[in-house]
Amino acid sequence: MNPLHEIILNHGLLFDALGVIGLGLLGLAAVKLARSHQSWGGNLMAMGAIAVLLARFYLVLSPYFINDDVLHSIGPIGISLTIGLPPLLLSLGLAGIVWGLWGHERWLHDENR
Amino acid sequence: MRSAEMSDGGFSTLGSIAAVRPVFLIVMGVFLLLIAWRLAKTSGIWTARLLVAGALLLGFGYAVIMPLFEAGVIERYAPGGHYHGSAATAVAWHLVRMVVMNTGWLLFGLGLAMHAKILSSPAPRPRAQARSFPPHESIT
Repeated sequence: MNPLHEIILNHGLLFDALGVIGLGLLGLAAVKLARSHQSWGGNLMAMGAIAVLLARFYLVLSPYFINDDVLHSIGPIGISLTIGLPPLLLSLGLAGIVWGLWGHERWLHDENR
Repeated sequence: MRSAEMSDGGFSTLGSIAAVRPVFLIVMGVFLLLIAWRLAKTSGIWTARLLVAGALLLGFGYAVIMPLFEAGVIERYAPGGHYHGSAATAVAWHLVRMVVMNTGWLLFGLGLAMHAKILSSPAPRPRAQARSFPPHESIT
C-alpha cells in the first residue's frame, strides 16, 4: 500500500474534521441568513445541518464506545435505534439542507425582482 | 451481529429502505448542484467559485458514489475485513468517498458562509465626524 493511502486511512479523523468544520460553517451561515433576512430557508437549513452533524458525530464516535456489552444492555429496541437513526438523520438532514437552500434561493430571487 | 439485526425490519427499514435511498440521494445531489449553481449566479466571484466547487463535489458524491455504496456495487471498506472483490478497490473507493464528501462539505460551507457574509464585518462604523472647531480664541 502506498504511503498516501496509509496517511489517509490512519488519519481519517482529519478528513472527518474537515467535513464537520464545513457543516458547522453551513449551520452558522444558515442561522445568520435566517436572522438577517427572515428567510425561512435559513431555519430549515440550520436544522438540516444540525441533524447531519449529529449523525456524523455518532458515526465517528461509535466505534470507540459501542461494544457487545453496550449492545446487550440497550436491548433490541436500542440496537434498532443505533442502526436506524443515523441514516434517518442523514437523510432528513440532507433533505432539510437542500430544501432550505431552495427556499432561500427562491426568496432571494423574489427579493431581487 | 448487527447485520443479523438489520434484516428483521421494524424501525431500521424506515431510515434505509434499500431501493429508495439511492434514488433519494441521486435526486438530492442533482438538486443541490442545481440550486447552488443558481445561487452562485447572483453572488461574488470567489463566493461563486467556492459554492460551485463544493456543490460539484457534493453532487458527485451524493449522485454517483453514495448510491453505488448503498446499492452494494462498491464494497464497503472495513479495517481488517475480507472482501469478495479486490481489497485495493475497496480501499481506493473509501478514500475517494472520504475526500470528496468532506472536501465538498467544507467548500460548500465556506461558500455559503461567504454568501451569508459571516466572515466580513457587518457595516463599516460611521467615521467620527471631523469636527471643525473654531481656532482657539485667546483668553483675555
